[in-house]
Amino acid sequence: MKSIFASLLILAVAAGPVAAQDSSAATLGPATAILVTGPEPGMKAVDFTLPWADRNGIGAPDDPFSLGALKGQVVVLAFYPQDFTSGCTAEMRTFADKYDVMFAGAVVVGISIDSLETHVRFAKSLGLPFKLLSDPRQRIAAKYGAKGSGTQMRRVVYVIGKDGKVAWREMQFNATDPKGYDRLQQAIATARGKS
Amino acid sequence: MRGRKSLAVVVVAFALTTGPGLAAQTPGVGDAAPVLAVHDLDGQPVDLGQWIGKQPVFLQFWATWCTSCAALEPAVEAAKAAYGGKVQFIGINITVGDPRDSVRAWVARHDPPWLVLYDDEGASQRAYDVAETSYVVIIDRTGRIVYTGVGGKQSFGTALRRATAK
Repeated sequence: MKSIFASLLILAVAAGPVAAQDSSAATLGPATAILVTGPEPGMKAVDFTLPWADRNGIGAPDDPFSLGALKGQVVVLAFYPQDFTSGCTAEMRTFADKYDVMFAGAVVVGISIDSLETHVRFAKSLGLPFKLLSDPRQRIAAKYGAKGSGTQMRRVVYVIGKDGKVAWREMQFNATDPKGYDRLQQAIATARGKS
Repeated sequence: MRGRKSLAVVVVAFALTTGPGLAAQTPGVGDAAPVLAVHDLDGQPVDLGQWIGKQPVFLQFWATWCTSCAALEPAVEAAKAAYGGKVQFIGINITVGDPRDSVRAWVARHDPPWLVLYDDEGASQRAYDVAETSYVVIIDRTGRIVYTGVGGKQSFGTALRRATAK
């Protein structure tokens, strides 16, 4: 047996998402199937390239972000639903606040469906010291189990080790839970310590 | 042969819910509201059980930097003016990106319409599966959730009437 392939599939039949729910207005929406998969810890991270932007502007088209080019470094992939929403603001703001401590010796990138122009505005508004990648069709998100059922990605965080394998992941990262950031910081520190 | 070279492990779970979104564990309308203790700004535990199940409760998860929370403030102020005598208004700061001293200074400047709690343990965020700031949960006097909503435009009148109905 040369390889072990493991995948996790969750099909959730749920009502369509609504912004507010109350007992008078609650109605069943169309059934929605949500697929959750992606490389598990110990598996090789899927290589990809995506265009990027940061607080200074849009990255050159001939210089996309490449995960494969970062082999030998710890990389954090933070898939998130959408720029300027409150959960994503909480997450990216916290990443920026804790950047020097949490991401020392690592490369972190945020990934969402937003355009590069929107990414520049979002990164500027929060002073983000890292790149935001644009994956409007969720092609890469799908490979990492972060593709959402609608137009937004799910909030999923991966730590990729220096060996290019998944060191840690959280498939339902809660942007409002301070303990989630503690776990991520610990995972990065552990990955950084491994050769 | 692919079958000899790899082992596929597939776990299929079906979550049947009637609420919005993926997370079946999210307490929604009709569910019992989680009862737990949350720190205040001084780090002292405050037991939500002193209100939940005993009187209607308006619970909002917020942050000082949250623009949706600021947009929602007039609606919360109006709700407090109309129902403050019957409903306990509680604002739980999620603490993410919000240092305690900043929150303390903000509270001193703004005089918010709720009792301010500061959940640096994230217990309430996990218990209520809070994905975003501005998330509001309204709980009736029996401890059942009658409303959840998020965003800068929310209307609480119907839910508060239901929560306070005898």
